[in-house]
Amino acid sequence: MRVLGIQRAQWRDLWAGTVAVSPLMPGAVVFGLAFGALIQVVGLPWWMAPYASSTVTAGASQIAIVEALRQNAPMAIAVITALVINARLALYSAAMAPIFAAFPRRWRFALAYLMTDQSAAVTSMEVDKWPDPVRRRWFVLGVSGPFVGIWILGTTAGVILGPVIPESWQIGFIVPLMFIAVLVPGLRTWPGVAAAGISIATVLLLKDLPYGLNVLTGALLGIALGSFVPDRSHPVDEEAVPPGAAPEAHDP
Amino acid sequence: MTLTAFIVFTLAAIGTYLIRVSGIVLLGGDRELPPRVRKALSLVAPAAMAAIIANSLFLEQSDWRAFGPWHIAAIVAVGVALWKRSMGWTLALGAAAFAALLLAGF
Repeated sequence: MRVLGIQRAQWRDLWAGTVAVSPLMPGAVVFGLAFGALIQVVGLPWWMAPYASSTVTAGASQIAIVEALRQNAPMAIAVITALVINARLALYSAAMAPIFAAFPRRWRFALAYLMTDQSAAVTSMEVDKWPDPVRRRWFVLGVSGPFVGIWILGTTAGVILGPVIPESWQIGFIVPLMFIAVLVPGLRTWPGVAAAGISIATVLLLKDLPYGLNVLTGALLGIALGSFVPDRSHPVDEEAVPPGAAPEAHDP
Repeated sequence: MTLTAFIVFTLAAIGTYLIRVSGIVLLGGDRELPPRVRKALSLVAPAAMAAIIANSLFLEQSDWRAFGPWHIAAIVAVGVALWKRSMGWTLALGAAAFAALLLAGF
């Protein structure tokens, strides 16, 4: 029995993946709405929101880019800021390497494209239940694909709803709120706390730097100085995906 | 600005995809990341997210944001995050606190 050329059993595995990631979907929708509304507020055309969300596919960096452009930053600074923020994805990619190793090449490259903080966290936690590589790749596709789809739809809805949402609602508050929700629950190691603290202090002390350079400098300094803080509570190799990736999923 | 934004998003998309495939391509076999690199990468998320929180919460462009609902609701959100250790609860109660403050006329 096939639907759209795909075996029914594989649809089931894909659906299991989507169910596993579903608790994280409402947050992605609200965050997407905020990004779309931001695109609309700064006067970019509506298609820029789905374009950015389907190509960059990493919300924090997309917001950083819009903020940099808003301050007339040179293109290089906007791009570098985004790539520094997204450097964390290299860690998830390393964590996915052994999980994806048995997949065909085109699957590995496609699933890498769909990889987000949330899908990497859910995949690495659930993977032990999927020893068969064929079933596992459909499960991972179910975790990653629909989540990205929801993100793209949410940002598009944000541009459309942007003009309807009253200014007085101050929907921009979702930006710090979303990042507090992602960052704080999983912040458990001393180097992580130090990196966050140094970063905040730097951003505020350098607030008069142009082009959003305070954000870039804060992130880099937090990473650099945080690296020197000894990690007492965690042995280095304990976890491939950091606890900050998706704290919700760590909850019972 | 539209063309600039298009180019910036496109370049960021290419760079971000290269980051996404880096580990899968380079660490396909038994090779592992050196511990120092792993540790630095694990700090990217807290450092970058904290930077964005500080910039969007305390500043408006380059000026300090006047103390008000943003700060109070953020304190509520941080408190809930430390108490419940849950993203969902933090989002829900943080948003509820913010809405309540706005409705109360702050």
